[in-house]
Amino acid sequence: MLQRRTRRKMAATAVAGALALTAAACGGDDGGSGDDGGPVTIWMSLDQSVVDGIDKQMQIAAEEAGIEVNIERVDGIDKLIKTKIQAGDTPDIALLPQPGVVASVVELGAAFPLDDVLDTDALESSMVAGALDAGMVDDQLYGLLTSMNVKSLIFYPKKAFEEAGYPQPESLDELTELADQIKSDGGTPWCLTMESGDATGWVATDWMEDLVMRYGGADAYNDWVSHDLPFTDPVVKEAAAYFENVALTEGNVLGGQQAITATPFTEAARPMFDEGEPGCWLLKQGSFFVGPDFLPEDVFANLDEELGVMGFPPAEAGGENPVLGGGDLAVLMSESEDAKTAMNLLATADIGKDAAPVSSFISPFKDFDASLYPSETTRTIANVAYDSTAFLFDGSDSMPAEVGAGSFWKEMTAWLNGDTDIDTALQNIDDSWPSS
Amino acid sequence: MLEKTLTALITVLAGIGAALILYWVLNKISELLPEKYEERLKPWFYILPAYAAIAIFVIYPAVQTFIYSFKTKVGFPAETWTGIDNYTTLLSSDAFRQTLLNTFLWILFVPVTVVVLGLLVALLADRLATRGENAVKTLIFMPMAISMVGAATVWGLVYDYRPPGRPQVGLLNGIVDALGGDPIAWLQENTLHFNSFLLMVMLLWMNVGFAMVLLSAAVKGVPTETLEAARIDGAGERQVYLRVVLPQIKGSIITVFITVLIGVMKVFDIVFVMTNGNFNTNIVGNEFYLQFFNNNNQGAAAAIAVMLMLAVIPIMIYQVRTFRAEEAGR
Repeated sequence: MLQRRTRRKMAATAVAGALALTAAACGGDDGGSGDDGGPVTIWMSLDQSVVDGIDKQMQIAAEEAGIEVNIERVDGIDKLIKTKIQAGDTPDIALLPQPGVVASVVELGAAFPLDDVLDTDALESSMVAGALDAGMVDDQLYGLLTSMNVKSLIFYPKKAFEEAGYPQPESLDELTELADQIKSDGGTPWCLTMESGDATGWVATDWMEDLVMRYGGADAYNDWVSHDLPFTDPVVKEAAAYFENVALTEGNVLGGQQAITATPFTEAARPMFDEGEPGCWLLKQGSFFVGPDFLPEDVFANLDEELGVMGFPPAEAGGENPVLGGGDLAVLMSESEDAKTAMNLLATADIGKDAAPVSSFISPFKDFDASLYPSETTRTIANVAYDSTAFLFDGSDSMPAEVGAGSFWKEMTAWLNGDTDIDTALQNIDDSWPSS
Repeated sequence: MLEKTLTALITVLAGIGAALILYWVLNKISELLPEKYEERLKPWFYILPAYAAIAIFVIYPAVQTFIYSFKTKVGFPAETWTGIDNYTTLLSSDAFRQTLLNTFLWILFVPVTVVVLGLLVALLADRLATRGENAVKTLIFMPMAISMVGAATVWGLVYDYRPPGRPQVGLLNGIVDALGGDPIAWLQENTLHFNSFLLMVMLLWMNVGFAMVLLSAAVKGVPTETLEAARIDGAGERQVYLRVVLPQIKGSIITVFITVLIGVMKVFDIVFVMTNGNFNTNIVGNEFYLQFFNNNNQGAAAAIAVMLMLAVIPIMIYQVRTFRAEEAGR
């Protein structure tokens, strides 16, 4: 491998002459496809603590299986993987953060289907409902959910909430009633902030996704994500209307409309733990928000006493209860037998045994030993996913990037910033969907 | 690590070796020619590799970009020709027209302001004692050494917003708060493109130092005899500057202006990091990035690059002409 690469580079430098130095700067690399019989390389961009935990279990399992596995943490794998594919320098397995990235890797011809590599029937029953669907591209399984996070969650200040005697809403209407009740008690119900630098908008699209899957159900949601249901569909408008009621009703959001787009999303939870009365009471955010970056120190230190968490309620109490989430999908990028073996090792509940206690890692396996989770909060969050009728991936991630990380973010932001109305915004998003 | 170092070393040696061999061979070839042609052609042989490098790394990509701008799904199996669709789609979209307008505002505002402020600082600092001058110049030049993304972090704290009643972290809102006002969402406020101008301030902050250094050097290069002569002839200080100093540093002013202008046309990082074009702050550089890397729409990205290239070419030609005229005048 080294030889081939050097020779190619020599040929290039012979032409470029004086540019040799530049080329040398890009010289020599690690990784490399495992077809040459070396160790199986796995790349991931998860937190270091999660990577270390997975690595520990993987090394044990790999030794038993008689293979060598090399897990590496890389930054921004979703972008990196595309350049590495173009450079012909890919790992054997990559943990990609979004189905959309998986699809584009498949489109580039760099991934191999897993249907014959893994025991999909067994996984279907042991993983959360819908986990395998998330990794499907063109009706073939390409991505295996290895870790997950849950987004359909509402956080609240536990002590104040219980003191005030507020009920846990069982449906969206009850959620509205709860917000109204908080307002009539003199509080501000919603903590809603979404400024996120170059990614501003995702907080709003998460809301929309959660609401669309609630009003339309899992099937309509999937149709919407694949654009078989347009953004101008009544279901989407119904979802938008609910969100509009939450976000733009006078007195519903801390700081009012202007604060929504201007305040960093990272600041959303802090007012819940103000001295005396909470500044706001309800925060819809993903499981990642349970972290020292987003919560006041003393709250994070006494998580289970201070922070309440519940599932975002379904449209109707007891009805279809889908859950929005995300996670990392393991993609096979080599055909070697060792890589396939490593893929099977990733497809076990045990792989997360060391990662879970020390991080925010949540296993997509329902039979994962829940006592390993570090707190009651994490257990509750995991159960929201395990109890759901369908675990649905973040739809904006699965949409074409010009929509999912483009117009959907931007139009929602413009709407909430008061620069456009919701009907125009939805129409613009729909128009931006690529034609082919 | 060792493998990497070794690869790098071998590559460098091989590269230099190959270059040496190439020139040796070219030299030999020219020596084979009859003497008359040898003298005439040898310079061409020597400059050929440089031209080849330019052709490969500048001209070829430019032509490629031009071709891509008439295609869609570039790099995918579905790559097809679309004629001028990329251009018409862009130019007919409201969002892109706003983007062009914003870019135009940047072009209009930033280079002129940079030159004026840079010149002002250069002239004023020139009148300070050496130590004072150095201190002032160092301070003003410092932002130049900060990366754009680093600067964005700094300015993110300047423009930061928190809801009313919360502790204000941002510098500006801290002041507003202390004066008893309600916090202002600086970067979200787009009436009259207010937020775009706030982003431009960041580029000014970074570029004035650059302008100052070049212009200050030019000011110091003005022969003192000319100043003295003017003063003896009874010119006031203002006249000395406007009629004696300025004409003599005109070349430097134009160079600074055009360098900043071209920089502004390509500006990207500030907007990308601060707002990503939200709140109607989008500019061409950011739109190019979004189309290319986010939307995977290389055709549209190439079309934007071509439009930008077309807009830059006249400026470059002007720049080269002034440069030549100046060289000739020397």
